[in-house]
Amino acid sequence: MSSSSFREELVATIPSLRAFAISLAQNNDRADDLVQETLVKAWDKQSSFQMGTNLKAWLFTILRNEFYSQMRKRGREVQDSDGLLTASVAIHPDQQGSVDLKDFRKALELLPEDQREAIVLIGASGFSYEEAAEICGCAIGTIKSRVSRARTRLQEILGIEGDGDYGPDAISAQVLGSTAA
Amino acid sequence: MTGMRPAERRSTKKGGAADELGPNSEIGRKLKQYYDELVSDEVPDRIMDLLKQLEASEALKTDRTRDGK
Repeated sequence: MSSSSFREELVATIPSLRAFAISLAQNNDRADDLVQETLVKAWDKQSSFQMGTNLKAWLFTILRNEFYSQMRKRGREVQDSDGLLTASVAIHPDQQGSVDLKDFRKALELLPEDQREAIVLIGASGFSYEEAAEICGCAIGTIKSRVSRARTRLQEILGIEGDGDYGPDAISAQVLGSTAA
Repeated sequence: MTGMRPAERRSTKKGGAADELGPNSEIGRKLKQYYDELVSDEVPDRIMDLLKQLEASEALKTDRTRDGK
């Protein structure tokens, strides 16, 4: 990859990288620090980046490693989802049953890091389970179970009944979704 | 692929990212909304400035190499 196309792809990935950083750090300043650290590291390691591989996944991996290494340095224990108490907070959907974005953000913050990163990578950043597993350095099955636990947890916190995956609209929604994606 | 019946379609969605967080899922929709809002934020100047610095330092290195220093 030439230096200029590396730069172009780097720049193009920054908004998504930053969104991921904010969802991890839950603080914009810390997230921007993480993005900066990631850019410096990526720039230094530019020559070791394998041409034709996924630059976005590579950058997310660097950022994630940076996040956890900073957490360890701060002496903060990485949250273990199994050891975490089920948070019972009073977030209720409004009468129409739709969840306010602010409430959603609060609910997301209550998730342990491993579940939060998994659901964000899969549900929002656009990575496959395989890619997410590589980014997080774990098995695909682990990512799947984290995503599933995260989703269940969010539903509980937000008081959403099980989503209508098997409802009458599920199939048409899938069809629409697959053409839109 | 043509003529796929709904039942088959349902089984193929297993393992895809869309299965649990697709457009039919309130959580999936909110998650995307949350993320897209962050993505559309303007990237702070300090990040773009850093990128310029990185490029400038590389240009300097290249110059030095060319000068044989």
